[in-house]
Amino acid sequence: MKKWVPIASGLLAGFIAATISFADFSSKTDTQTASAGNKSDAEKVYVPFGKKDDYYLFASGGHSGQMFIYGVPSMRKIRTIPVFSQDSATGYGFDEHSKKLMGGYTWGDLHHPAFSEKNGDYDGKWMFATDVGNSRAAVVDLKTFTTKDIIKVPNTAGPHCAAFVTENTEYMFLPTRFAVPLGQKYESLDDYSSKYRGVMSAVTFDEKKVKLNIAYQVALPPWSYDLSDAGKKGSKDWAVMTTYNTEEATTTMEVNASQADRDYIVLFNWKELEKMVKEGKYEDVGGQKMIFPEKQKGGIYLVPVAKSPHGVDVTPDGNYFIASGKLAPAMTVFSFEKAFKAVENKEFAGERNGIPILKYESVMEREVNPENALGPLHTQFDDKGMAYTTMFISSEIVKWDPNTGKTLDRVPVQYSPGHSVAAEGDTVAPDGKWIIALNKIAKDTYLSVGPSHPESMQLIDLSGEKMKVVQSAPVDPEPHYAQMIKADKIKTIEVYQKDSKNKDAVYNQKDTKIVRKGNEVHVYGIAMRSRFIFDAKSKRPDVIEVNEGDHVFIHLTNIDFDEDITHGFAINDYDLNMEVQPGQTNTLEFTADKAGTFPLYCTNFCSALHQEMNGYFLVKPK
Amino acid sequence: MNDSSKKLSLTSSLLIGLAAVSIIASMFFPWWKMVFYAPQYPEGLNIIVYPNKLDGQIDIINGLNHYIGMSNFGEENFPELSYLIYIIGGLAGLTFITAVLRKRAVLYGLIVLFATGGLTGVLDLHFALKKYGSNLSPEAPIKIDPFIPPIIGENTVANFITHSLLGTGLYLIIAAFILLLIPLWKDRAK
Repeated sequence: MKKWVPIASGLLAGFIAATISFADFSSKTDTQTASAGNKSDAEKVYVPFGKKDDYYLFASGGHSGQMFIYGVPSMRKIRTIPVFSQDSATGYGFDEHSKKLMGGYTWGDLHHPAFSEKNGDYDGKWMFATDVGNSRAAVVDLKTFTTKDIIKVPNTAGPHCAAFVTENTEYMFLPTRFAVPLGQKYESLDDYSSKYRGVMSAVTFDEKKVKLNIAYQVALPPWSYDLSDAGKKGSKDWAVMTTYNTEEATTTMEVNASQADRDYIVLFNWKELEKMVKEGKYEDVGGQKMIFPEKQKGGIYLVPVAKSPHGVDVTPDGNYFIASGKLAPAMTVFSFEKAFKAVENKEFAGERNGIPILKYESVMEREVNPENALGPLHTQFDDKGMAYTTMFISSEIVKWDPNTGKTLDRVPVQYSPGHSVAAEGDTVAPDGKWIIALNKIAKDTYLSVGPSHPESMQLIDLSGEKMKVVQSAPVDPEPHYAQMIKADKIKTIEVYQKDSKNKDAVYNQKDTKIVRKGNEVHVYGIAMRSRFIFDAKSKRPDVIEVNEGDHVFIHLTNIDFDEDITHGFAINDYDLNMEVQPGQTNTLEFTADKAGTFPLYCTNFCSALHQEMNGYFLVKPK
Repeated sequence: MNDSSKKLSLTSSLLIGLAAVSIIASMFFPWWKMVFYAPQYPEGLNIIVYPNKLDGQIDIINGLNHYIGMSNFGEENFPELSYLIYIIGGLAGLTFITAVLRKRAVLYGLIVLFATGGLTGVLDLHFALKKYGSNLSPEAPIKIDPFIPPIIGENTVANFITHSLLGTGLYLIIAAFILLLIPLWKDRAK
């Protein structure tokens, strides 16, 4: 008899079982990027349903106090992250955690966003931002795209050019736009030069505790500090920032701060400052470790530069820093290597406010002056190290070679670009591919919505021989600067995990309860599709009843551990609203100072029976 | 005439031994699963049944099922999950013994036991599914007609299309059963 028959059939049975169970019959989908060579402009920016953008764009929201997230190349807006301003859409500034973060302020002026970095490259973990309006700094967690900490910076007024981070996120430096007296106390403007200071703060970030801290401050002269950048590679221990109003004018700045032919770039070695602080070379000013450069000497130098510069940007190789003239029609390329030598050989041209001035000729590498290009503001870089500078006044982006100063290409933009952002364009390894002009003026670009216009962001393709504007997107006020990161560097979560240590959280409907302690009422409730349960044992589990004057804490956990099932919680006429994301617990704390009957309801559409997801908040009169 | 008490061949014994291994292996794989697809859930939600536990997005499915008044799936509703693993272990033991004894009568007995057990399992699952699909709460916000989800195949309930599938564990059990049948043919009367 044939012996192989049983063996073969046994094996066959096994194979069939294995194939059915483990084989992957789904076809592999082709994921190609949209910036390939011979595509039309429309094809370059079209991202069909089911595909995703290649880059995240984080645009500062200026005086909206928010940050805007866009996808590139589609330029579709994906999300708004509230940072310094209240946002009822997400309950930011209403729930306890975010209310505390906001510290009583209702708005902010979010200027420069900056990613956390590792070895000079974005690591996709954190985003830092500063508030010129109320002198704060914030950190946003990129797992959840939510603001995690905000720090108020004393002795300073308007950290504008921040935040910029050092190569491994050791520090985020916050120089100030406005000079004020220490402690921001009253001093006559007649004493501006002696009593006012432009304080810069060195902020550290504790990643484990998710806390921002001020390590030390530097009492720089009472000038305005504009933009800044940290060194890279060979210059990584150094940082540069531009100044204006070295005239120390106190009124009609437009004229009076534009008189001197030269302002300065402040060049400082943060490693040296760190060492000085360690050695106790500082003074205590209201609890802050303050370095006074005229007393605690070293580590800080001034580099003369064409008047009122705006941007200063370090090349990807870390060899040069490029200052943009703003009022002078030129960019100046400075060499770090030359600067280090000048420092070593003490090639000084005197001092200002006790800080040595390096000789311009000793540090300058070349002046670059593209014909008729006016108002250079800010420079980004591509993968070949080429520079792209925005020209505010002549409304264009100029591409040029920092190594030769040669102009390579120009493209008009509509209109008046302040900053621009290239794909990872301020890291040690820019991607090239795209640059976005952040235009201050949109004028007639979009359908009219009356006198208040949106700003405009224009996407420019860098892959061809010539730069080409391929897309434009309106944006709310007002992107001052932005950051563009490769999408796969960001790893988000979709659902908050259960946190057994959170005493406010309830994950089982049976554990819901309302606890009274004197005049405090603590509600431990849940939200689920499509009901609230505040007290499972109650006759009406979705009703909260308190007495007028009670101090109410509503802890609400969303127990739908399901992607994109967000619940809102609003109390009608109590001016309260918050959100709970899947698995998240949030708290509303308030005083029931109004007697009466107030419906409560889910504000974030959650399900087919969302409209039925409501209850009552009853306040018994005294 | 062949003597039914005559010992089974060594090959048959090995095949029966292999069947026992296959039964033991099945304990570590899911036996059955139901995948729920809806326009909002193109990635599918799963109920995955192991001999001793449930897996998948049970909480989400329960959360959705309350709209049609279906009672909750949960390990506490399936006492079978607490002892099924021992029955399977016992069956594997008996299969090993059969392989060692190499007695035709014992093999017959094992096959009958195996078939009975299998049939019981299928009926048990069928009645469980019937219970879930037909005992819908009269207070449910969305009223639908009672239904019985199939053990294998597709079914449509409201916006959900369900696919019931056999799992690796059950394929291993089927393979084991085939392995037990082969000796009958191999050592058949000549």
